[in-house]
Amino acid sequence: MSRVPFYLRDRLEALNERVLAERFEASKLPTWERVLLTWFTLLAFWVVITSSLEPASVVSGAVVTLIVALFMRDLLTEDIRRSGHIAEKILYFALIYLPQYLVIMAFRLLESNLKVAKNVIFMDIKPGIVKVKTDLHSDTGVTILANSITLTPGTLTLDVKKKLGETYLYVHWIEVETLNREKAGEKIKGDIEEWLKKVFW
Amino acid sequence: MLEVLLLFGEAVMLFGALGILRFPDVYTRLHAASKCDTGGAMSIILYLVLTMDAPGIVKAKFLVLAFLIAMINPMVSHALARGAYRYGVKPEVVVDMYAWDNP
Repeated sequence: MSRVPFYLRDRLEALNERVLAERFEASKLPTWERVLLTWFTLLAFWVVITSSLEPASVVSGAVVTLIVALFMRDLLTEDIRRSGHIAEKILYFALIYLPQYLVIMAFRLLESNLKVAKNVIFMDIKPGIVKVKTDLHSDTGVTILANSITLTPGTLTLDVKKKLGETYLYVHWIEVETLNREKAGEKIKGDIEEWLKKVFW
Repeated sequence: MLEVLLLFGEAVMLFGALGILRFPDVYTRLHAASKCDTGGAMSIILYLVLTMDAPGIVKAKFLVLAFLIAMINPMVSHALARGAYRYGVKPEVVVDMYAWDNP
């Protein structure tokens, strides 16, 4: 990209941004689904936090969370993709995607704890900062990916940078195995990115 | 039998503290802090949820606590690492692609 003249590069960036924005607008959820999802999430949180199932508490919580959800509908669910009916979507998410993610992350957390213990005992570290490309564009997806990378064995996210519609992560790796960007990406991200691409934009 | 979870959590916390003492620089110490705190705290909370004598909705509160720990701990370690790099703490590394792109 560095050899392209300046005017062409500006035009290319503008075009890329417009294409991305149009694809983003086309894959958004409808408004009422966003309000409904935010409302259910907030209501579940309210019930757990107050820890009472009396009708007065639940009804007042439902009214307040509905008002909040009407204003804040874009905050939580803006980056979720659209596919199929809403009931199908919720069932898929609750029965397949969420347990899959929890199982993957539980085993990775266990492995990373054991690996830190091994590193502490033997001190066999060779740290380095590598750059990794991701296919995700949305803020929520990149946030969850960065947090998952921090919890996977031997890696810690340093910074996120967006350039020309592509997202790059700078990862501090405690034992550098390869400098090739694709191989390092496969080793660091694993199957979490594939999982995230099904749900988030 | 479930005490294995408690013992595992405490051992992991101990290794995290050892790692903070033994590793050479800020970033490797943050590795030990973030991973071991998350794993150890979540394992201890899981033990409490499984053995506590309380109604289910109070146990759900503990699960919310575990979720918040799992969300916030990596975020805080990321913010600390980035802040340390921006402040000028040099990492002891074999390759530093972040410095190549931000001269």
